[in-house]
Amino acid sequence: MTDTSLIRNFCIIAHIDHGKSTLADRLLEATATIDARNMVAQALDSMDLERERGVTIKASAVRMRYPAKDGLIYSLNLIDTPGHVDFTYEVSRALAACEGAILVVDASQGVEAQTLANLYLAVEAGLEIVPVLNKIDLPAARPDEVADEVVAILGGKAEDILRISAKSGLNVEAVLEAVVRHVPPPAGDPAAPLRAVVFDSHYDVYKGVVAHVRVFDGAVNAIRDERLRLMATEVTFEPLEVGTFTPRMTPVDRLNTGAVGYIATGLKDVRQAQVGDTITHVARPATTALPGYHVAKPMVFAGLYPTDSEDYIGLRDALDKLRLNDAALVSEPESSAALGLGFRCGFLGLFHMEIVQERLEREYNLDLLATAPSVIYEVLKRDGEHLFIDNPADLPDPSHIEAIYEPWMHLTVWSPDAYIGPIMELVTKRRGDFEKMEFVAEGRVMMTYHIPLSELIVEFYDQLKSRTRGYASMDYQFDNYRAGDLVRLDILINDEPVDALSLILHRDKAHTVGSALARKLKEVIPRQMFKVPIQAATGGRIVARQTVNAMRKDVLAKCYGGDVTRKRKLLEKQKEGKKRMKRIGAVELPQEAFMAVLKLGEDS
Amino acid sequence: MRLGACTIIAPMSSQALLVPELPAPPSRGLGIYVHIPFCVRKCAYCDFNTYAGLEALHETYVAALCREITQAAPTHGHRKVDSVFIGGGTPTVLSGSQLARILGALRAGFSMVPDCELTVEANPGATDQSRFRELADLGVNRLSLGAQSFQEAELRFLGRIHGVAELGTAVDAARAAGLQRINLDLIFGLPGQERVAWHRSLDAALALAPEHLSLYSLIVEPETPLAAWVASGRVAAPDDDLAADLYEDARERMAAAGYLHYEIANWVRPPVAGEAVDAWTSPPGASRHNLRYWRNEDYLGFGPGAHSCLHQPAAEGAAHQARRWWNLKSVPEYIRRLGAGQEPEDQSERVVGALAMAESMMLGLRLVREGLSWAAFQRLHGVDARECYAPILAELSEWGMLESSSSALRLSAKGVPLGNQIFSRFLP
Ligand SMILES: Nc1nc2c(ncn2[C@@H]2O[C@H](COP(=O)(O)OP(=O)(O)OP(=O)(O)O)[C@@H](O)[C@H]2O)c(=O)[nH]1
Ligand code: SF4
Ligand SMILES: [Mg+2]
Repeated sequence: MTDTSLIRNFCIIAHIDHGKSTLADRLLEATATIDARNMVAQALDSMDLERERGVTIKASAVRMRYPAKDGLIYSLNLIDTPGHVDFTYEVSRALAACEGAILVVDASQGVEAQTLANLYLAVEAGLEIVPVLNKIDLPAARPDEVADEVVAILGGKAEDILRISAKSGLNVEAVLEAVVRHVPPPAGDPAAPLRAVVFDSHYDVYKGVVAHVRVFDGAVNAIRDERLRLMATEVTFEPLEVGTFTPRMTPVDRLNTGAVGYIATGLKDVRQAQVGDTITHVARPATTALPGYHVAKPMVFAGLYPTDSEDYIGLRDALDKLRLNDAALVSEPESSAALGLGFRCGFLGLFHMEIVQERLEREYNLDLLATAPSVIYEVLKRDGEHLFIDNPADLPDPSHIEAIYEPWMHLTVWSPDAYIGPIMELVTKRRGDFEKMEFVAEGRVMMTYHIPLSELIVEFYDQLKSRTRGYASMDYQFDNYRAGDLVRLDILINDEPVDALSLILHRDKAHTVGSALARKLKEVIPRQMFKVPIQAATGGRIVARQTVNAMRKDVLAKCYGGDVTRKRKLLEKQKEGKKRMKRIGAVELPQEAFMAVLKLGEDS
Repeated sequence: MRLGACTIIAPMSSQALLVPELPAPPSRGLGIYVHIPFCVRKCAYCDFNTYAGLEALHETYVAALCREITQAAPTHGHRKVDSVFIGGGTPTVLSGSQLARILGALRAGFSMVPDCELTVEANPGATDQSRFRELADLGVNRLSLGAQSFQEAELRFLGRIHGVAELGTAVDAARAAGLQRINLDLIFGLPGQERVAWHRSLDAALALAPEHLSLYSLIVEPETPLAAWVASGRVAAPDDDLAADLYEDARERMAAAGYLHYEIANWVRPPVAGEAVDAWTSPPGASRHNLRYWRNEDYLGFGPGAHSCLHQPAAEGAAHQARRWWNLKSVPEYIRRLGAGQEPEDQSERVVGALAMAESMMLGLRLVREGLSWAAFQRLHGVDARECYAPILAELSEWGMLESSSSALRLSAKGVPLGNQIFSRFLP
């Protein structure tokens, strides 16, 4: 039995881009977990997508050995977390596997919305907080002021807060010492029956579902005969392998109390091993499961359709696998007159949606179309029936509708006070109501609003950023459902309604959004062999129209002589390009057409 | 005649390699293309398999070429050859005696019909009247001149070796030497080309009363100096809308001059008195050799990078198949292989079924007068195009892109500039 007093489990939390992953890099180096030769920036961001975008999407765990100044060697389990608001649920799962959290604050940006949001989550989870000011190498850093901001939200003394540069490595060693000193060792009972919470999982072709676990009580051995049970689903299995992340998966004989690591379950059905479930022994089971997590509730819905209808089954399987790795994603089959068979999927936000689509396309080699995102509307019909609608196409005929309710959010915006005006204007334009404003520090304000979610999901964040030169940050939570004067905007292309392009919006906006959308569609729909009228309509009344002119010339007037093969290949390439388009009636629509509503710009 | 860059193609399956040489009745004609891969200087836009500065190889090249022709003769020599096209490159960089040897090898190995069309490509600026006379003496009866433009600035931009003055001189010299069938090639859609400049080139070309005109749009081919200029921003990319305007203008101007449009890029001089030209046939002045390509008929190609295609039409119990193959592109390697008694073939492809049918469509529909013959399609593929393409034909006709008669199908006036959109719909 090892002594849990030499274990520290902690995560790194922060607002997006404050330097969590870069700090993790330095910690990995300082502990020689990854040697300098093999070091790449943001080493824990292992997905291609994360590396390309420089954004953490998935929390990832790694075990480090650290010889501390007190002469003892500690086993440190670090979990790097994402900072984007859409991935807050990843943070809360990571928190449940830890006793402490390093709160990173960018010394030039100061406290921002997710600094606070994530801090509250960590405090709520009972974690010890180690605040750290990062990026003090930046000329724009103002560590004294930011230290005061941190003290204002966290208490403590400004001079106790570590000041580091994750980029240069300055003071990183001190962070490890602080973790060892301030984060308590895990408290579990090594003698009790096994209880390990599944905080994440992924699928491996050879090992089946691999559960990422934190062992709270007891221990798990890499012995097949010691069968394990998932307490919620009651599925039993033999552990094929247990191990730790170094950061590669590295098999060990045993995961002891307090350890963070993985158990390869060999299970093939991804639904059998759910995140939040507790693993115990079949022979000596625990009586009560660990608390688990609240499932993150998706708020944004959109249809995902394979461009090639033959990929439907492939998409279904890919969604199943991805869900294992992304607990917040929900999906159910739906069909569209325009797009055929697909899935209505629920996401935590638009960024999440974008990431899911991109992961499906890359990791599962699919070509997908996404419809315009929608929130869930509650519809009260004249006959008293209540409906929840997450697809605008399902909205009943207006004559049957008594009232439509839409979700409103409680929005918090943090910003330098210079931008109060532009922020107010943006929120008002988006139908938001001002609630209150507080000065949180010298020159910095926190404003709260109530605003319909539908106004928040599309382009709001970009607009906020551009109006405040990137300085404002925001956070939001569900507030309540409120009645609204809402209508459905339909789009007709070549005189045929395209259900996948319909959206629900406020009556006052039908005209501006309709015009902007028709304009945008005209831009993205390539010229066809005939001219294509585009119309936007509400309740049968046309509110905007545009025309895509007919194509003028597409013919090879070049002499390739007998090289028919080359000529044919050119045409085949052209035809291949068309396969990415969706044919609606006689018109070929590119993928961008279905996302046009996301790119309408300022004036809508 | 020019050859495009080699197209990458998946390696043939061993089964496909076993396709036997296709026996064909001597009654079906054969066309022969001969490639001369040399030019005085490489033009800025050119991606044909041709090289400047290889003068030292001319002699050995001609020997290798004659050898390839001679090697092929036992297999194909019984076929009646009714068109020979010597292209490149610039065939006239070879001496009269070298060209005579090539023609000698052809005549020795193949049976040419008495009125065989014999075209040679030439570039103004590299050919004088005595060369033209040599050609005529060798039996050449058609000349294709790469004029490209009648604007000095455009010729310089294209990297041509000749000026405007040499164009008229060359045409006059060729006529004086007795070469009556003359084609001029012109290029349109140069970046920033003014419409009036294009009109002037067209008018100047028409003033020379060529028997045949080919109007090609400038295409930026990868790995040419032009592509590098466009990539670096020194030159604007050719503009599709401009090309569309210029093409429309050309169709109008050529029609006004009485020229007959018979293929997307090709026109024939107005009918002479007493010559009746049916609206659904290619006029007599059309290039017989190029008609072969568009009618999806047989041809052999000799020289580096040259393509060949032989069909075996559908017959009792056997589906149609075509074998297409092409030679390796490198001139020294070509010479080496033939010197060692080896075949210069690089890759081959067997085209069958839906793909072969689509090729017939995409080629036949380029013939804007005669179109695709229903009967010829049926003869080759053993099926009726009207049946197997019924839904596509119905839709395209509904959009006004096609017109048909009881014997053929062709693009409508509206469909001509949209050819690629139409052709690609027939691909499997
Ligand atoms: N100058 C400076 N730049 C830093 C420092 N730490 C991180 N950065 C830079 O800040 C950017 C964001 O760093 P990340 O480590 O990816 O931030 P993150 O918090 O993990 O971001 P998310 O995972 O997207 O929330 C990168 O460009 C880093 O190079 C620092 O100490 N000094
Ligand atoms: S003359 Fe013709 S073949 Fe020779 S380089 Fe110029 S365009 Fe190419
Ligand atoms: Mg990160």
